[in-house]
Amino acid sequence: MSLILPKRTLSRRQLLQLSGLSGVGFLLGGCGTNLFSDNLRQISEPLNQSLEALLLSQKPVPEFPVSAIEVDKLLINTFDFTPQIDPAQFRLKIDGEVSNPMQLSMGDIQKLPLASMVIRHVCVEGWAAIVQWGGVRLRDLVALVQPKSNVRYVYFKSADGYYESWDLASAVHPQTLMAYQKNGQPLSADNGAPMRLASPIKLGYKQSKWVTQITFVSNLLPLKGYWEDQGYEWFAGL
Amino acid sequence: MTSAKHKARSTPSQTFLSKTFHWINIISLILMITSGLQIYNANPVFGGREGWHFPDFMLLGGWLGGGRNWHFTAMWLFSLNLLWYGLYIFVTRRWQRRFADGGDLKALQVSQNPKRKNYAWHRLVYTAIIPVLLLAILSGLAMYKPAQLHWLSGLFGSWQTLRTVHFITVPTVILFTIAHSLLALKVGSIRLVKSMFL
Repeated sequence: MSLILPKRTLSRRQLLQLSGLSGVGFLLGGCGTNLFSDNLRQISEPLNQSLEALLLSQKPVPEFPVSAIEVDKLLINTFDFTPQIDPAQFRLKIDGEVSNPMQLSMGDIQKLPLASMVIRHVCVEGWAAIVQWGGVRLRDLVALVQPKSNVRYVYFKSADGYYESWDLASAVHPQTLMAYQKNGQPLSADNGAPMRLASPIKLGYKQSKWVTQITFVSNLLPLKGYWEDQGYEWFAGL
Repeated sequence: MTSAKHKARSTPSQTFLSKTFHWINIISLILMITSGLQIYNANPVFGGREGWHFPDFMLLGGWLGGGRNWHFTAMWLFSLNLLWYGLYIFVTRRWQRRFADGGDLKALQVSQNPKRKNYAWHRLVYTAIIPVLLLAILSGLAMYKPAQLHWLSGLFGSWQTLRTVHFITVPTVILFTIAHSLLALKVGSIRLVKSMFL
């Protein structure tokens, strides 16, 4: 069997067109390309996200030994400022399309089972750090508030104005935590105290710090997340 | 090379599919490298944020988010192009004739004919780039989905090693492009180069 097609040649004009195309990459680098890369995103993001949703499994991602923790590698990123929150005053509000909306104090949360994991935290910028996180499984909070059957997404609001949204399947993954400990210590303000999202299955920008409100919804809103609304991918699955 | 039995000097010719693969490979590699360097600059593999950054004219996407959108779109073009080409050379058995083999290695060691040696080098170099491109895909996947493809990421050891292996594609492809162009000119002059592009 042969796949060889009839011989064809390109004209000089076609060659020039093609070589122009390959030069486009260099030209676009310099000028404002956000518009064009947003168009590209509309093509590839649905494809890439459906692949990521397909790859997602509820099986825990293998963890690292405590000896592998990289204390210095977790860099601090914030989009604005670092809120200082009094843990005694802090309340986590859980609402939206749920049967039992509630407000939990840190005391209430710490009475729930403590889950600990040593996982790789991967930043969109390319760096990664092996970190231990301790906290309550988000799925345990989900079980408490009982989302209605039409709920498919979860919004997270932070004290600094940051906002994020997740697919429900990733939110109830057994390693998605509302963490209040890092590397065996209480969480510091820089890392999101009193409570932040932590998970091995999403990029760092999905893992909101200083979370004050969790809202269950059936549809995504026009605002999907601080960085997603600037052009990052929404699913951001690892 | 075409069969030269009946002609004293044959004109080199390439199949339409080979030329298509070659063109798409060049374009997609330019997109992958320029958008990849944009991502690199967000946190350089060597030295982190304090490390050396690539100049703007080498970058595609305008910012990290734009670079990622380009990279994760062009990855389909790049890898699917390589995939159908792999099937093509397998089905047509071109892999047996068009790539470096034992004869080329032997020629490099014992041949007294400089033309035969150049030809062997040429075939060896363009054959060697294929595993480099496959490694770029594997190391890229290992970084793209380190949780779901943890078995693949684990093969590379540390994250820094993984990033380095993926990045090494860039200087390797640039050096390859230079060597491949020079060898093609040496082996078949501009006629051979034209046969692949036109």
